[in-house]
Amino acid sequence: MVVLKIVSLILWLLAVPFGMGLLPMPLLEKRFRTPGAVLAAGYILLFTALELVGIPVVLLAVYNGFTIFKNVFAPVTVLCAAAGIFVTWREKKNGYELNFQSISACKDRSMEEKIMLILFVVLAGVQLYMSFARASFDGDDAYYGAQAVIAQQIDTLYRVNPYTGRSAPLDVRHCLALFPIWEAYIGSMSGIHATIICHSVAPLLLIPLTYILYNLLGRQLLKEKKELLPMFMVLIALWQMFGNISIYTTETFFLTRTWQGKSFAGNFVIPAVIWIFLCLMEEKNTGRIGFWILLTCLNFAGGASSSLAILLSCLMTAGFSLLFAIKEKRMGIFIKGGISCVLGGGYVLLYIALTHGLLAL
Amino acid sequence: MFGIFMESLVIFKLYTGLKFLLVLTALAWIYLLITEKDKKIRILLVYAPIITILLFLFPLSRKVFVAAGLDGETYYRILWTVPMGVIFVYGACRFFASHRRIGLALSAILIVLCGSYVYKSPYISRAENLYHIPDAVIRICDLIRPERSGERVSAVMPADLIHFVRQYDASINMPYGREMLVNQWDYYNAVYEAMEKPDVVNMEELLKATRTENCRYIVMAEHKRTDEDPKDCGLLLLDVIDGYRVYEDPVTAKVQEQQWQEYYGDEK
Repeated sequence: MVVLKIVSLILWLLAVPFGMGLLPMPLLEKRFRTPGAVLAAGYILLFTALELVGIPVVLLAVYNGFTIFKNVFAPVTVLCAAAGIFVTWREKKNGYELNFQSISACKDRSMEEKIMLILFVVLAGVQLYMSFARASFDGDDAYYGAQAVIAQQIDTLYRVNPYTGRSAPLDVRHCLALFPIWEAYIGSMSGIHATIICHSVAPLLLIPLTYILYNLLGRQLLKEKKELLPMFMVLIALWQMFGNISIYTTETFFLTRTWQGKSFAGNFVIPAVIWIFLCLMEEKNTGRIGFWILLTCLNFAGGASSSLAILLSCLMTAGFSLLFAIKEKRMGIFIKGGISCVLGGGYVLLYIALTHGLLAL
Repeated sequence: MFGIFMESLVIFKLYTGLKFLLVLTALAWIYLLITEKDKKIRILLVYAPIITILLFLFPLSRKVFVAAGLDGETYYRILWTVPMGVIFVYGACRFFASHRRIGLALSAILIVLCGSYVYKSPYISRAENLYHIPDAVIRICDLIRPERSGERVSAVMPADLIHFVRQYDASINMPYGREMLVNQWDYYNAVYEAMEKPDVVNMEELLKATRTENCRYIVMAEHKRTDEDPKDCGLLLLDVIDGYRVYEDPVTAKVQEQQWQEYYGDEK
């Protein structure tokens, strides 16, 4: 039974997102098609699908919302993953392949770099162990954790007061951020209680996922000096452990509230915007369209974590593209940046309409 | 306007804690400002962060933020877009590029000394189970949870267990939850007033409130003082679990049983 649950978790947390991440890869240059980039892209697409499927269900389904959501979301993600695998298989005939050099290159690293990499693995391992073996109390869990449990056990989405259990009108302030519902979904698909998913399982995925993103970021920053990457990763891991300079920092959220959407916003969505821009603005990059598509999805997918995340990622996109447009003297960059915010803009308008009572449900 | 600027400055201070990690970031930022040649890195790690901080402190930004319907208390999250860690770490990697071992050791020591260890938080404790909630909550919930699926029971819980109950079982309702513990929200709840406010609980008042709220179970810490023994007031002591007394109110139980019988009768 336990083995089945673990296999199921691997399927829904790794295999399906990885398959989905294969979908946009043909649009990227080979050097960007690393397994880490595939998984990161997969999660961007997964949360885009989560929002596209979930928002109409949350808004329209008063009863059995979670069942309806599962019945639509599971086939959509499996089909996307299958499509990703199919695209990879079909393109392979034309010489298309993923880039596994980053893994094989580990062997060629110097002893000093290998030791640093081991040090990084130890630090990340400590963080994973602590996330599993230590309970971190946070008052907001009474809201977010309970919402996931309500979805799983009562089959309604954001229509029960999580603190008391009384029926309530749709919680318009939070109902567009479906991160807890995704955690409840993973739990249901694997036969695991939503709170166990939040507190014991999700960090085991989300912590490595953030480091995958930092690895991608580091590769872009240190392109000419790859030998510095292990040092970069060790220091980033240390910074996360000692970045608790206040309760507000992303580092504090990263290791004490890992399972909450807000933490995902600060530790995945925001670094992902920087990574995408580093790739996009590379002069030699000939596969920019793939990154613009990923950025468009990210600017919408961020809404799964929190409504503010969309605003932040869209503001970053607008600001970065404006700076690059000025620097490169190409207004097209700013226009493309604006287009990549259209989906996210729609989300923001919907949020404003709901919270200001312009859309009654 | 100056007041808003000062408020934003206070938020900035609270966010950074004015700790030395901010100084490390500032030093790395200055180093990158002087030496970084790559245009895109300059834009993302040098220009964008300083523009963000200036806009953050600019009074109009906060006005627009709140006017957009966003919670003013989350304004600090704008600072999340300033990647302090990446700026320092990238700056350190660049600075110590030719002396990696020394550079790593020195940077690591600086981070450890200037930062604050996340696991020293008093809110982090050994996990008692995979749920990461107290075992006591699980035992109490297992005792009082409804037998039939679809049914609900309502239970008053002590303040220290309130956050966890509905993270374990959504079929257990509570007359009040976390919302009563957040001072600035300032809600009123009759059961909370009777249960938590007085040092010695007036049982008559508590039962009046719980029966109005259709509350079947009352869970009290063993040390909680009451003006009368709850058993003398008609409550049944079901069990004592990890220092918590679990009572059932037979009056509410009977009313609820009737309600559920009527409900299931109607369904037939």
